[in-house]
Amino acid sequence: MKHKLISLLLILAVLSPLTAVYGAETIKIGALYTMTGRGGQYGKDSEVAIKIALDEVNAKGLPDGAKLEVIITDDKNPLYAVSVAKRYITDEKCKFLFGIISSAIGLAVTEVSKENKVIFVGSDHAATDLTANKFHKYYFRSSNNTFQSMMAGAMYLKDEVKNWKKIAYIGPDYAYGRDQWMEVKWGLDKLGVKYEVVGEYWPKLYEPDYTSYITAIMKAAPDILIVGFWGGDTVSFIKQAKPYGLFGKMKYFHVDAGGNYEAMAALGSDMPEGIIMSARHHNNWPETPANKAYVDKFYKAAGRYPSYAAEGAYVGIHMIAEAIRKVGNANDTEALVKALEGMKIQCPEDPPGFTSYIDPKTHQIVQVQAIGTTVKNDKFPPAKFMLGNLKVYPADKLWPNFEYIDYMTKVKGK
Amino acid sequence: MDFNTLIAQFVSGLSVAMLLFLVASGLTLIFGVVNVLNFAHGSFYLLGTYFTYQLMQVFNNFWVGLLVGVIGAGIVGMVIEVLFLRRIYGRDQEGAFQLLMTYAFILIIDDVVKFIWGPEYKTIPKPDALMGSLNLGTTIVPTYNIFIIVVGMLVVLFAWYFLTKTDKGKMVRASSLDRNMLGLLGTNVPMIMTLVFGVATAMGGLAGVLAAPLRTVTPGAGIEIIIDSMIVVVIGGFGNFWGALLGALIIGEVLSFGILWMPEMATVLTFIVMIIVLIVKPEGLLSKKMVGRK
Repeated sequence: MKHKLISLLLILAVLSPLTAVYGAETIKIGALYTMTGRGGQYGKDSEVAIKIALDEVNAKGLPDGAKLEVIITDDKNPLYAVSVAKRYITDEKCKFLFGIISSAIGLAVTEVSKENKVIFVGSDHAATDLTANKFHKYYFRSSNNTFQSMMAGAMYLKDEVKNWKKIAYIGPDYAYGRDQWMEVKWGLDKLGVKYEVVGEYWPKLYEPDYTSYITAIMKAAPDILIVGFWGGDTVSFIKQAKPYGLFGKMKYFHVDAGGNYEAMAALGSDMPEGIIMSARHHNNWPETPANKAYVDKFYKAAGRYPSYAAEGAYVGIHMIAEAIRKVGNANDTEALVKALEGMKIQCPEDPPGFTSYIDPKTHQIVQVQAIGTTVKNDKFPPAKFMLGNLKVYPADKLWPNFEYIDYMTKVKGK
Repeated sequence: MDFNTLIAQFVSGLSVAMLLFLVASGLTLIFGVVNVLNFAHGSFYLLGTYFTYQLMQVFNNFWVGLLVGVIGAGIVGMVIEVLFLRRIYGRDQEGAFQLLMTYAFILIIDDVVKFIWGPEYKTIPKPDALMGSLNLGTTIVPTYNIFIIVVGMLVVLFAWYFLTKTDKGKMVRASSLDRNMLGLLGTNVPMIMTLVFGVATAMGGLAGVLAAPLRTVTPGAGIEIIIDSMIVVVIGGFGNFWGALLGALIIGEVLSFGILWMPEMATVLTFIVMIIVLIVKPEGLLSKKMVGRK
């Protein structure tokens, strides 16, 4: 009997690690990304970055040998995205919702997260609303919102650009474009900058031809043209404006998404020199080992350099993994929320001496914003220009801004 | 408002109009002759640009690229017509089949393009000869925009000559009126329809190649261009080649002067024009009410 007991204990001892691995939990993250059309590149780049982050997270390990798994679906439109998000929760038993490029879709899916009390980490969509007037405790964002970039932009205009008064704006005619214009004006007003608006232009998103807008802007003759396009719209506008000599007649100022790498790559030598831009991630800045390693890993995996969207996805996966490590499991949502609030997370875009963190009151990641001008740089082909002369704005000066959140809530409602 | 500003805005509108016309004319030609509402027409605009992009990676010559882009789009168009569209002609509810099939081709071609060339934006550089701008007093017009306007006008002249002065052109017009009667008279109607489909999709390809140095080449561009082209075709009249020209000129100039005088309303103005035409002359400005069409 004693021998049998010892044998049984031995068998259990041998099998226990196996059972631990065999029974290790797979924690599912339900992601939605635009995988087709103009925004498709952001979805594809996010997919690559998610894979890199998952390899890192699973190599480092999670409590009880758990593994993270990400399911990605093309989000198509808000209605469809909402149905997929619901399916993720009920059928796939996903513990987290994740991703989303378009703010319109992000605003729809955040309601699913709120109703079902499932954490939603937004990795790309930038509408300030989600971490301001539409805030709820289960939503977190792993990349900057438009207010952060436009507030930094207002500071740049005040301190770095001399002898100007007249401004005009052109941006896509939907929430993303409208918000940037509202935010930069609010920032300039708060900083006590006097300015005169000589034109506002609202082409539709994905407008193919800006020729008539360009001639109208040239007629309005602002000192500074503030631009709110993203992606291919930036590329088209710059290509079409260049032969009109627009960049010699006024300062071009485009600080939320103008300096996105994919625009630099698409424009190549067509990119004008010395125009003012920024982006939520730069492949050439900061020149830290962490940023270089991230960019190199991406290049090795995809054969191209990443657009800014990839970094938000990469950081978002690491945020979730870190929260699970802190809590010890992925089942206690309330504890995960607490773990994410105030979390410090080292991002590729962090300059030396700074670590990004999640603002506990708004759940918005707080990061620096670097604004610069285009300079010749062919180290990241096919781009021929990258941003240089960067002026870095401290993260805590940009977010949270409760005065703006109150203003936004008053203007747009809860 | 000074005269120079008006000229600058008019020329901008003309340049917008010509690219719209090149896409819309192919769309309306297919509708008029083949009686297919080719929702996938924008995909040939996309294919033209990608074929040119690919060729320019090897030869770096815009003009050879243009030729290959145009011919390539036309050949793919003819293949799709022969292999797929021809099989649904004459079926009950042909319209619904057309819409579904041509919409499916948008998605398929987008994904094929993404699979072959990747999701990132591509650009095509302008040919060196067309890089600069013309300074007309106080008005600047990019040379490339003038080139687009000239090409658009040449297409109009060629189409006018072909459709009104040649026997083949007369056959094309006849097939748009009664393809059964034309067949009974011994004409190879399927061949005419395939050729028209090829020419029309080649024109879509031409528009794509001409637009590429000004715009971005990216999967999804085809679906964007088709909406504006539909507005042009509705205004001019479905199936009416000259209607596409008139519609494009109206939309181009309404948009251009709308941006100058009421920028908040500029995009809406084009839709308002379309609605007015639909109420006042629902068949389109240059179309006659079609009675007894077969």
